Amino acid sequence: MSDSYVIETNNLTKRYGENIVAVDGLNMRVRHGEVYGFLGPNGAGKTTTLRMLVGLIRPTSGQVKVLNEEPGAPEGLARIGAMIEAPAFYPFLSGRDNLRVLAKYAGVPETRIAPALKEVELSARSGDTFGTYSMGMKQRLGVAAALLKDPELLILDEPTNGLDPAGMAEMRDFIRNLGQGRRTVILSSHLMTEVEQICDRVGVIRNGSLVAEGTVDELRGRDRLRVKATPQAEARDLIMGLPGIERVEALNGHLHITADLDEAAAINRALVYGGITVSEIRVEQSTLEEVFLELTKGQEIRA
Amino acid sequence: MIGSIAAEVFVLRKRASTWILLGIWITMGAVFAYAFPYVTYRNNGGGPGGEQFADVLPQSLVSNLLVGFPFFGGAIVLMLGVLSFGSEYGWGTLKTLFTQRPGRLRIFGAKLAALGLVLAPFVGVIFVVGAIFSYTIAQVEGAAVDWPSAWLVIQALAAGWFILAVWAMLGVMLAILSRGTALAIGVGILYSLAIEGLLSALTGQISLLEPLVELFLRSSAYSLVVELGVSGEAMADRGPGSFSGPFVDGGQALLVLGAYIIIFTLVSGFTLRQRDVAG
Repeated sequence: MSDSYVIETNNLTKRYGENIVAVDGLNMRVRHGEVYGFLGPNGAGKTTTLRMLVGLIRPTSGQVKVLNEEPGAPEGLARIGAMIEAPAFYPFLSGRDNLRVLAKYAGVPETRIAPALKEVELSARSGDTFGTYSMGMKQRLGVAAALLKDPELLILDEPTNGLDPAGMAEMRDFIRNLGQGRRTVILSSHLMTEVEQICDRVGVIRNGSLVAEGTVDELRGRDRLRVKATPQAEARDLIMGLPGIERVEALNGHLHITADLDEAAAINRALVYGGITVSEIRVEQSTLEEVFLELTKGQEIRA
Repeated sequence: MIGSIAAEVFVLRKRASTWILLGIWITMGAVFAYAFPYVTYRNNGGGPGGEQFADVLPQSLVSNLLVGFPFFGGAIVLMLGVLSFGSEYGWGTLKTLFTQRPGRLRIFGAKLAALGLVLAPFVGVIFVVGAIFSYTIAQVEGAAVDWPSAWLVIQALAAGWFILAVWAMLGVMLAILSRGTALAIGVGILYSLAIEGLLSALTGQISLLEPLVELFLRSSAYSLVVELGVSGEAMADRGPGSFSGPFVDGGQALLVLGAYIIIFTLVSGFTLRQRDVAG
């Protein structure tokens, strides 16, 4: 295990009984100061992994170090703020009193409570009992609780769940700000736009295993050219014969061409001179969502 | 650790169920230990000297109250123990607590310490209420006000707390094992009423059961209060809390109850530390 990572897992595995493998040999590396997006469809093993990182559940096998400590060790927990799955608080206590309880447990001064509530814009309702909060307010309180310790590592599991579009946008800005500077943020989500806009690097989990890890641009891959030309088969053959063309793929009535984008004019000219009608030619950028869907195709529904 | 204990005391203090259980316990004590015996005495013609009248006077404060601890008080604080841990599973707050700084065993210790502190008013307040009732009755009836010795009261308070602590700890263990409240309360009440109650009642017919029943929580708790002046006859006719023996000596009772506390604490702590928090 290396000191250069905030989170490092080696073959991390969690089994339930003989047949259910929730996390399967996961190797994940999260670097200091980055906002790491942890992507995966429902049931892929995201929450199980996050629970193992904070020591709520024990791995069946494999190693994991968080902030160079064993998961669940008090020394590590003191430096981690976490909101795992739905935010859970005492329903009969106010938002402020719930934070007061956590501050006492975490050994942080109560003077941190008001700024944390202000940061998530919950000050006005902080005197109301948690049981009366909307889902969005509960999420905000969960984030405020995670911030109480001014943590080095912030683990947020689906933090925009239950928020309206305006609230989601606010939360995205908020998380982006949190991730600036020395703090490391790991954000689990299945909302691509959220991850695309916030995260420095992304890991994609499928059936309990990490199937891709890299920056958003790395995962999206190279931009391609998209051409609609008739007749398509002749156009495909003609383009394949041009210099600098790496790959041509016909899909849904379009040709998707991997080549230097500066070749667009040359391709257009060649097609027109070849008597082929060109009705569309443009640069195509894969979205993270397309990459995600491709990577997670065939995800099984798991317990 | 002090901060963690303060947090838990704050939670228990703010929780309605703590006050409801305390209210039920105090009401039961006032009604069954004082109001009913006094009304019965008055209905039977009144006048000092009757057995029931003696029970409600200050001189009998310790014996009149302590007899309710081994079963009725126990059942109530069993629920308190169950709720203090079992509700955390229902609300999902265990995961919130376990991701704070202290670590599982310190959180467990803080919750137990807070529960122990909250048991103090369950013992103290009922003695205060009993003192007020007995004094008032003595004044109304013109009877002498003879309080038990301070040493006996201190022993009674300590024994009462100890008995309640064992029952509360049984509730804690059942809540942690069942990861909730409903099953834990059901099993706890069933155990105290059906298992311990029925087997104790059968010892008269089946003597083989006697060594087993002597190790029961109820027989040890009843034996402990007998050491402090509660008469065996007083507990033989108390509805679901009836107990007619076998009794053991005070030393053995203390040892058995102490062993129960240790076993319940170890099982609870080990389970809480080892088990995944998935909910």
